[in-house]
Amino acid sequence: MSDPASNSTTTSEPRATIKRSRRWSTVWIVPFVALALGAWLVWEHYRSLGPLVYVRFETADSIVSGKTDVRARSVSIGMVEAVTLAKDLQSVIVAIRMQPDSEELLREGSRFWVVKPRISAADVSGLGTIITGAYIELDPGDGREDVHHFDGLEKPPITSSSVPGLRLVLEADNPGSLNVGSPIYYKGFEVGRVEQRSFDIKSRRTNFDIFIGDPYAELVHEGTAFWNSSGVDISAGADGFRVRTPSFQAMLSGGATFAVPPGAVVGKEATNGTVFTLFPDEEATRKATFVADRRCLLFFDQSVRGLQNDAPVEFRGIPLGRVVDISFDYAPTGEKRVPVLIEVDPSVLRNPSQKAANEKIDLAEAVSQGLRAKLGTASLLTGALYIDIDFVEDAPPATMGKVGEYEVFPTHSSGLVQLEAKVNAILTKIEALPIEDTLNKFGDTAESLTATTTDARAALAEINKLLSREETQNLTAELDATLNQVRASVSSLGPSGAIQGDLHRTLDELRAALRAFKTLSNTIDDKPNSLIFGRDNKGGDPVPRSRR
Amino acid sequence: MTPEPNPSPSPISAASQGLASCHVCGKVSPVTVGHCPRCDTPLHLRKPQSLERTWAFLIAAVILYIPANTMPIMTVQGIGGAEKNTILSGVVRFWEMKSYPVAIVIFTASVLIPLLKVIALVWLCLAARGRSQTAPRSLSRLYHITELLGRWSMVDVFVVAILVCLVQLGAIMTITPGPAALCFSAVVILTMFSAMSFDPRLIWDRHHEKPNPSSSLPSLPTNE
Ligand SMILES: [Zn+2]
Repeated sequence: MSDPASNSTTTSEPRATIKRSRRWSTVWIVPFVALALGAWLVWEHYRSLGPLVYVRFETADSIVSGKTDVRARSVSIGMVEAVTLAKDLQSVIVAIRMQPDSEELLREGSRFWVVKPRISAADVSGLGTIITGAYIELDPGDGREDVHHFDGLEKPPITSSSVPGLRLVLEADNPGSLNVGSPIYYKGFEVGRVEQRSFDIKSRRTNFDIFIGDPYAELVHEGTAFWNSSGVDISAGADGFRVRTPSFQAMLSGGATFAVPPGAVVGKEATNGTVFTLFPDEEATRKATFVADRRCLLFFDQSVRGLQNDAPVEFRGIPLGRVVDISFDYAPTGEKRVPVLIEVDPSVLRNPSQKAANEKIDLAEAVSQGLRAKLGTASLLTGALYIDIDFVEDAPPATMGKVGEYEVFPTHSSGLVQLEAKVNAILTKIEALPIEDTLNKFGDTAESLTATTTDARAALAEINKLLSREETQNLTAELDATLNQVRASVSSLGPSGAIQGDLHRTLDELRAALRAFKTLSNTIDDKPNSLIFGRDNKGGDPVPRSRR
Repeated sequence: MTPEPNPSPSPISAASQGLASCHVCGKVSPVTVGHCPRCDTPLHLRKPQSLERTWAFLIAAVILYIPANTMPIMTVQGIGGAEKNTILSGVVRFWEMKSYPVAIVIFTASVLIPLLKVIALVWLCLAARGRSQTAPRSLSRLYHITELLGRWSMVDVFVVAILVCLVQLGAIMTITPGPAALCFSAVVILTMFSAMSFDPRLIWDRHHEKPNPSSSLPSLPTNE
């Protein structure tokens, strides 16, 4: 390199001085552009990634990182980036990379669940995911706060919270075939669905979360009753047999119907979360339009055989409540009477104006006036008992006490005790009868009867005496002889007897003579001249009879 | 370049004679003429700003090499969701699928060759500045290899381009290029520019400078 340089300097030729005043060549722009381009690409890449969301699921079944996407109303809005076990190893954390500008979807109340093929009697869903693979559905919440950690749902909610409508809870002792997805009917029209079914261990009842679509939500009032309308309902009543069948689907998968029972107070429109009782059938709603919210304890000093749980509690035939339990658990120590726990709704006895005013029925007041609980026989065949609450005349004064948390309602003995009273009444009547006189008269009669008997016996003895005499016995032989003679005379008089034969003959002859005489007299009557001219002359001149 | 070029102590270079070869037609003319008498191209003894340009392109290539390897090169939108692949994840995927040859080819063409090219160019640049004791002939061979291989590292870009064009099956499968594809092609192009900008004669200039003790103007080549 020194050679050309020395050469150029040694040769004293005029040579342009090389000036490189620019310290930085323009070519250095290239790395800066590359840097800017690279930085922009990286920034753009990470900006386009969108927010990262963590959702906790029980299991990562059918969730694959990099494959399972997240959708909201079938629009893909994100992708599962990683699936990791939670620290407590009890769940999995699914990291989801949302698409940019999807912050709005990640609000408080947003719900995530896995959509995969689910097939049950009531519901067939997510069949498309058999081919495309499962995906995670996001139902955006309406909260204000941005949230990036969620707990995913294990089962899909049937209606998303964004759908307007009414969400209620039904409590049922016997849920029947009602299940998730079962329809809710109003006058046969499907207006909602059962969304969730759970069992409450405390109350031992099944709870159903149901959803009523928006236009129909206003049909549900506080006085509305829900009943299970699945299956065929056959009821026998005073008006004969009735068979009610719901829709075919309800028969298969169950269903519930609601209406305001006749006579019930409609009340205000129901709000979200209101709890209703699910009755087993429509008949039950009519009988039980009450809310049995008052629990009372009854103590019976007689056998409660035949009384069962759920046996009715009635006031003069009007259903008031039911028997909840029969158990000595409720009895204080030393109590020998049988404790029966009932729940009643005394408000049934209010009239509508009282209901409107929400006046309370004062049970204590009624008790002081003689209201008592008795055991009544509901069925003579089965011996089933019910509890009859009624005013009892001449009841010993009583008040409502308290045992534990329950009020104690005074009872009135019935059954055997009543029977005793009836027997007493019968005995009293018997006592009032004039039995003594009757007996006295009976005695007189007996005496005279004895006298008569003695007389009769004496007479008989004399008869015997008479019979045993010889003359009496000979008399019999003479009587025999006489009788024989009489029989002989009589037989001669009989039809085959000789006397009767003669008599017959004489009579015949007499009869023939009379007949001839009668003919003669008739002829003379008709034609007096026949004695002269003969009988055969008719018309014309009478001609003397000639010889024929 | 045959057996021993060194024994003669004073091989005369064209530059030492003040002669420069035309960059376009190759005609050798005195550099003082300024322009090639045949094609009127400006005459230089060496490529102007050779090392500076080489460095600049090289640095740009290195910068873009990072996103080219870390960002997805293509997105495969198919049944069961979208899948984003970086070059390395693709290599790993093929390796896991036991397609070792494919994995090796992709790794070599897309990762190894650009990397080696960059290293080789850095080495050459340093050698041109006299920071390396490597024999100029080895360096010269390295330069030839670098130029030769550099063109083949476009493989990935071609693959992506072809896939994007061919695989458009609508709902079933769609392939879209990722940001890494752009970076990657930029890396390839920049390394090619870098290799082109390098004047291999600088290696020899340095080599001839060493035996000659009279280094009166060592700064001249760097200026040019
Ligand atoms: Zn020329």
